[in-house]
Amino acid sequence: MGDGPIIVLRDIAKSYWRETLEIPVLHGIDLEIPEGGYYALMGPSGSGKTTLLNLIAGIDRPTGGTLKVCGFELNDLDDDELAAWRNQHVGFIFQNYNLVPVLNAFENVELPLLLTGLSRRGRRERVEHALELVNLTDRMLNYPRQLSGGQEQRVAIARAVVTDPDLLVADEPTGALDGKNAEEVLQLMERLNQDLGKTILMVTHDPKAAHHARMQIHLEKGLLDKTVEVNR
Amino acid sequence: MKWLGFILKSMRRSRLRTLLILGTMTFGVLVVALLLSLLTTLDSVANNPNSTNRIVVRHKSGLTQVLPRSYEAYLRQQPEVETVCGLQWFGGFYQDPRNFFANFASDEETLFQVFREEFGTSGITEEQLKEYKRDGTGCIVGKALADKFGWKVGDTIPLTGTIFPISPRLTIRVIFKSPKPSDENVIHFHYKLLEEGVPRMKGRVGTFFVRTKSPDDIPRLIERIDRNYANSAAETLSETENSFNLSFVKMLGNINVLLQGISLVVLVALVFVSFSTMAMAIRERTTEISVFRALGFSTGRVMGLVILEGLVLTGSGGALGLGLTWLLAAVLRPVMGSVFPFFQDFAVQAPTMLLCMGGALGVGFVSTFMPAYEAVRKPITEGLKTL
Repeated sequence: MGDGPIIVLRDIAKSYWRETLEIPVLHGIDLEIPEGGYYALMGPSGSGKTTLLNLIAGIDRPTGGTLKVCGFELNDLDDDELAAWRNQHVGFIFQNYNLVPVLNAFENVELPLLLTGLSRRGRRERVEHALELVNLTDRMLNYPRQLSGGQEQRVAIARAVVTDPDLLVADEPTGALDGKNAEEVLQLMERLNQDLGKTILMVTHDPKAAHHARMQIHLEKGLLDKTVEVNR
Repeated sequence: MKWLGFILKSMRRSRLRTLLILGTMTFGVLVVALLLSLLTTLDSVANNPNSTNRIVVRHKSGLTQVLPRSYEAYLRQQPEVETVCGLQWFGGFYQDPRNFFANFASDEETLFQVFREEFGTSGITEEQLKEYKRDGTGCIVGKALADKFGWKVGDTIPLTGTIFPISPRLTIRVIFKSPKPSDENVIHFHYKLLEEGVPRMKGRVGTFFVRTKSPDDIPRLIERIDRNYANSAAETLSETENSFNLSFVKMLGNINVLLQGISLVVLVALVFVSFSTMAMAIRERTTEISVFRALGFSTGRVMGLVILEGLVLTGSGGALGLGLTWLLAAVLRPVMGSVFPFFQDFAVQAPTMLLCMGGALGVGFVSTFMPAYEAVRKPITEGLKTL
């Protein structure tokens, strides 16, 4: 685990607007997450955990406060800079995998690398390595419809790590999986944290899934309730 | 896989929809290209660059009336006139009335001077010309026509008259080439043959084709000729050859406006059909577009990919449509050309191709820009829904 915090949130607030009605979601969140940490964001529906994850991942902007992630003040970046930052520093794992149906596993994993200056050969090596990591080398030419849910999520994880990002964000990564596949995916994420030192921030309702993390952050009505270490 | 590969794969998302858009564009471009090509062909009839220093003098009452031959002497006396050729539409057919082509009784001495441009590259030798002038039943035939019926020099061809009660048997003395296919689908035979066979045509002629020394002379020459024969037994109507040709095109009605109108309607319909289909296709991919943006694709790049996909699709449809138009033009040329001689020049010209491809790409751009812009304007979190 690294020394300094990779995520620093100061007084983060977020509100949504429904016409003239302001709906506050997060209120004055202060949070620091060290590099190499594995955190589960927990809380009841509407507590703001997904909103917080979105802000940290740079796909949404706060209405107040500052956030520094992977050494960048995200408030200072314009939309294109933020997109480039996401490509280099963040890997996304979605609940519904969100693979592109017309691309095979290899091409899905290759997608984020198309934005880099890597050669075709360089991309191939990276993709093969990522698929090897999730144990799907033999399925690289399969299309999403030819894969099981667990395999699709593993392809999605390969896509998340292929650019070697510092931070992985996962929103209910096991929400659409059965017990066995969910366990495989969670073990894989644990390996990514332990063996490769990836910082992982995972939103989950599932206490079993949260138990795989090292720390649990509990949110309640848009406020940070408590942060607890997971006892194993 | 790089961008074009991705776009091609993306087009396989809904093969039926892709095929339908492709089919719509292909058919639309086919229709527009055909209509525009027809317009261009009609325009070339009325704006023949070879005709700029030629005028046609005919009876004011119409083409069914004839002028006295004696007018030729007056025409030749005019200082602006270089030479004059009497020409009479014969309207005969070969073997079957469906074998329609242009055939004229013409003055053999001046025909090649008046229509210098048309015969300039014909490959006619002095020897052949002498032979034609010597043989009173001789004729000259355009190469396209000779090829169509398998004629060769020396063959005798019967021409059955429809306007005049004679059916001359003509001996082919010359087969000539011409830069314009329509100029090769013609037979000229000696005017004397018509005069001998049809007594009422003796000393009379349907039209005089007058070659002037300069195009600048034409307006005052026309005015003088018509003034000279005003209130005579056979008043004249003189006009430029292009204007004369245009009068045949005008028989089809105000076809230019009609064809332009149809082309515009087809284009607008294409934009609407394409827009609604593309909008639907892009809306279905809102989540995917948000995933791309989350992965680091900038707004501009995502929009560019979506628009490029539209351009590739409509551009392919346009290219297919033009290819089909080209093939169809080759089929229509001989079929329609036997009814409307100007159709023998019917072809899809480069400007038409460029215009149609530009139109197809324009439809692609217009139909994808707005839906793509709407899709990328949506916040990523809203598009993803789950994250």
